[in-house]
Amino acid sequence: MTLTVDIPSAPPSRPRRTRRPGVASVTLVPAAIVLLLAVIGPLVVPYSPVDVVDRPDLLPGAAHWFGTDSAGMDVFSRTLAATRNNLLIGLITTVAATAVGILVGLLVGMNESRRGPLGFVARGVSRALDLVQALPAIVIGLVLIAFFGATIPSLTLALSVILFPNQARLVRTEVLRVRGEAYLDAARISGDSETTLIRKHVLPNSSWPALENASLVFGSAIVLTAGLGFLGVGLHPPTPEWGSMIAIGAPGAASGRWWSALFPAVALALTVFAVSGVGRRLFGDD
Amino acid sequence: MSALWSRNGWWVRRLAILPVHLLLFAVVVFFLVKLIPGDPVAVLSGGQRMTPEQYEAARASLGLTGTVFGQLGAFLVNTVTLDLGNSVLTGTSVLAEMGSRLPETVELAVMAMVVSSLVAVGLGFLVVLRPRNLVSRAVASYSRAAGAVPDFCLGVAGIFVFYSVLHWAPAPIGRYDTLLNPPPRTTGFPFLDALFSSDTALMGSMLAHLWLPVGVLVVAYAPMLVKLFIRSLDQAKNAQATKFRIASGASRRMVMVSIARRALPATVAMFGTIFGFMVGGAVVVEQLFAIPGMGEYAVQAVTRSDFVSLRGFLLIVGALSLLVFFLVDVVTMLLDPRRRPGVAVAGG
Repeated sequence: MTLTVDIPSAPPSRPRRTRRPGVASVTLVPAAIVLLLAVIGPLVVPYSPVDVVDRPDLLPGAAHWFGTDSAGMDVFSRTLAATRNNLLIGLITTVAATAVGILVGLLVGMNESRRGPLGFVARGVSRALDLVQALPAIVIGLVLIAFFGATIPSLTLALSVILFPNQARLVRTEVLRVRGEAYLDAARISGDSETTLIRKHVLPNSSWPALENASLVFGSAIVLTAGLGFLGVGLHPPTPEWGSMIAIGAPGAASGRWWSALFPAVALALTVFAVSGVGRRLFGDD
Repeated sequence: MSALWSRNGWWVRRLAILPVHLLLFAVVVFFLVKLIPGDPVAVLSGGQRMTPEQYEAARASLGLTGTVFGQLGAFLVNTVTLDLGNSVLTGTSVLAEMGSRLPETVELAVMAMVVSSLVAVGLGFLVVLRPRNLVSRAVASYSRAAGAVPDFCLGVAGIFVFYSVLHWAPAPIGRYDTLLNPPPRTTGFPFLDALFSSDTALMGSMLAHLWLPVGVLVVAYAPMLVKLFIRSLDQAKNAQATKFRIASGASRRMVMVSIARRALPATVAMFGTIFGFMVGGAVVVEQLFAIPGMGEYAVQAVTRSDFVSLRGFLLIVGALSLLVFFLVDVVTMLLDPRRRPGVAVAGG
């Protein structure tokens, strides 16, 4: 993961805060820890994360740090092993949604006011992106899962479909602004083709809102994955996944056995916090 | 006549585009559901062997015969006449099912929306007017992390703390005590019906069952609202108009009113978004509190690959969201004429 993002020199919409190196590196630590856990987690778990290892509903103790769930699986091993699944889906979704969003935003923004079929299609897509925004993400997620099935690649695909429209809209708005800039006319006069123009001038100057929003997309992707898992349509148990673990632990929490739902929930929240920390570090945004 | 049009054209135009959006949405839903892999007839038969005649008859009953465009046409005609078909598996009418489930979900979402808007307005003003206050700081930093703790985590935590430990909330099963009779159906919205029936025991039971799910939605989604509200209040506060009022010696109250008035359109505009969040949140929270609403229906439809129910669910939720967006648009345009289509703004 490269953490250096080239901020284009086009006039930013708000003044950027100067970066304080000491504070900045501290905010990256949690994200680094989460990433490390995702990589080594499944290798260092004390018990098998997908098998029944002890009696059900054991309190957290020396043998089972986070206790066991209602089936008798070790909550610590499962929480740790799930980091990889949830993080993988989140990361790939973020990259895919941002890339597709930038591409669609560029195409729509550049062609929207054109005459002929191309302009018509671009305007149609632009309206469609607005319409998708009207629906709750979890609802679209439910339907797309019915359509793609519940495996890691299909969840990633479904979540990318849900999350790219917002990225595309952000880029489109910026393209519409950049399109009127004088440096584009200057490039045209000096003989750049339209493709070169888009690649060299429009793309770097209009994609930053989507990059800035990427940490938010990552957070949404992780929360949505877990939400679908919680509703029982995500990755099927016993595959370790935070959402389905919380769903399994929920009835227990109602009768006082808090541990099997609490630990995956805490892991989920900490991950989202860690990633939003990265977003703040990169863009100095609130 | 032309004066009438120029005064009212903006909302008439917005109203005219609503059916177009609905139709487009129906077409998208049709193709989306069409793309779901698997043979619906096989789902219907449950794996039993069928003769080719039976198979064809089943296909015809599901509206799967003919060309794709023929099917689309039939689907659109049915949708316009509000015939959403019958569930593939249970055979019950999708529309009737929606009729009983939609009010449950909408009621929950609207209650949460009302409470969170009140919370957001109160806290937003507090943060903007007293930025150094301890409470303001806590609120501002919680709202900055908005969305980090998802609704279902808060729901599980809420049930554990308030039901299992403190016993402040009843068991998270349904809308009211299972021993009580349901309210007589007058509006279809259970809470309103209970209110009208003047059945105090039922009313009390409903309130006891509702405060936790509504609270969960508020805690989960109000921060987002607060964040947006603080941003628009801040913008209004730092605008020239505020400085002008202060400089010309207006009272503190008048300056306040002026800030609130200028932040209002942006605040209303975020209601569309928050309604979407609330419906999505209600779908999840229903599952947790065993409330028989839209969420339960959709999850069942997905797990059983019941494409007719799924299609009906999407259409209803989509129509609802588009309607809310329409209302929000009209109200913002009413409050801020610069947002009306065809209005040229100098320098804007």
